[in-house]
Amino acid sequence: MNRVLTLAKFNIGILLSQRTWFFLSWALFGMQLAVYGSLMSKLVSPVNVPDYFFFYAIGLMVIIVFDSGADVGRHFVEHAHEGELPYFLSLPISRRGFLASQAIYGIANTMIKILPPLVIVLYFVGRLTPQGVFFAAIALFLLGLGITGLMVSFSFIAFKSIDIYSAVIAGLSALLVRFSTVFYPLIFLPNFYSPISLLSPLTYGADLTRWILGFDSTKLLDPTVAAVVVTAIAVGTLSLSVRIVDNIIEGVKAS
Amino acid sequence: METLNLIKKYGKTDALRGLDFKVDPGEIMVILGPNGSGKTTLLMILCTILKPSSGTVKVMGLDVVEEGTRVREVMGIAFQEARGFWRHKPSSILKFHASMFDIEPSKRQDLIEQTMKDLELWESRDKMFMHLSGGQAKRLETAKVLIQRPKLAIFDEPTSQVDLRGKRKIWDKIKELRDQGSTIIVATNEVREAEYLADRVTILHSGQRVVCDTIPRLKDAIAGGDIVEVEFEDPVSNKLVEDLKSLGGGLSLSPQGNQLRAKVSRAEDWVPKMTSASYNLGSKISSIRITEPSLDDVFLHFTGRGLEDQQ
Repeated sequence: MNRVLTLAKFNIGILLSQRTWFFLSWALFGMQLAVYGSLMSKLVSPVNVPDYFFFYAIGLMVIIVFDSGADVGRHFVEHAHEGELPYFLSLPISRRGFLASQAIYGIANTMIKILPPLVIVLYFVGRLTPQGVFFAAIALFLLGLGITGLMVSFSFIAFKSIDIYSAVIAGLSALLVRFSTVFYPLIFLPNFYSPISLLSPLTYGADLTRWILGFDSTKLLDPTVAAVVVTAIAVGTLSLSVRIVDNIIEGVKAS
Repeated sequence: METLNLIKKYGKTDALRGLDFKVDPGEIMVILGPNGSGKTTLLMILCTILKPSSGTVKVMGLDVVEEGTRVREVMGIAFQEARGFWRHKPSSILKFHASMFDIEPSKRQDLIEQTMKDLELWESRDKMFMHLSGGQAKRLETAKVLIQRPKLAIFDEPTSQVDLRGKRKIWDKIKELRDQGSTIIVATNEVREAEYLADRVTILHSGQRVVCDTIPRLKDAIAGGDIVEVEFEDPVSNKLVEDLKSLGGGLSLSPQGNQLRAKVSRAEDWVPKMTSASYNLGSKISSIRITEPSLDDVFLHFTGRGLEDQQ
């Protein structure tokens, strides 16, 4: 366990040395919310969605969580292509421990990007409570783990071709974000669209976080189902990524 | 450390073909072979990065497939290509490495400083990894293993890209590590490196072990154990070659211009006869050089091809 934390600390040290990216991420979030969030909340009927600005803000945070999870996958692939992965795989740490350290890195990355905007948004919409922040952070954390696991699982493609990996991840990202409820409540989605959105993990993560923060539950998925799905995706994709690292990713550049 | 019938396939390519290989505790085993002979693949399996397609591999009695984490606790590897972190300084890379191998924090700094000084890296301590030269990056790779002092230390071409002075330092540190009790495997295609370091040499060719023994015994195994190189003032005549062949004791003669290279069983018997025969034919000798066969000759003898020809 000590070595897992040492490795995670080392990776987080690298992360913290790139502070500019966090400031950019927060600035982008603020700008997106101030411009598009405000504008769209004026376009949406207050009768249908009484608090669309808040709905939009949480959706935006879910997208940051998604990007952050994808970033961990990219980080993993970069390790491989810059020749660092064989070194990490030669360290006295189990493959599970290695992935756990990557997951901790992912959590740190996500939380640094998400917590300040979450607290500020909740403060401005008058819903800031310690419990709300705590449980919303857990929901977003679970979602982040699931996305991380998913992206690391896909990383085996990168060992064949980095171009195919980039194309698959870009396509997957577009589908998972667009076919989800990050910007639109499920009950307003057209019939042909809503079943597809149930396949996106972001739908469950976004609606669960909104429910925790007190959004109108009639416009959301059942929170129990959402919590179960988000947890299952986190456990399932992480287990899959463990298997992949253990069994498939051994074709890392040997010399 | 032992492998039994080790096979590794990459798709349809056989990298290792039924390799039986054993290293005794406390020795430096040099694996000598050209590029593509399977050296790096073998080392990657030993350090658990690659998995064997079939066969058994044990390190300190631990199975590399079943007990990978425990194997990694007792071994350290200096990779053929230096593995660093682009924006890190050498000292922070070594600190991280030391912390992963539970080296006491109180001893870490001194150990790192001393190792960096020994390998002439101390002057580069404030450079980022990406700004190190190829030779400096290789020395840093070696430094990782030296501060770790593992029970099994593996060096994959430890002095490629390193200057002559640096090579000697690395070789001496590797020997020092052996003297401190580590078992060492060095993979190389440099004959000089193998001659300097090896307690025993394993020659690997096309994924198979060709031969394994000490260097003197490998050299003795070549028929015609001494090599005599003679330079004449004039081109070597056919008559002289014929006369020398009739002397006996010369197993092969290779005349080329003014020079003659002879593989003989006992140079001390053959040389006086050769000088006498040359004198009788009026061929004046400029110089005589008696050498042992090199490891390249050994490689040539056992594989039918020169090591350097295959690089």
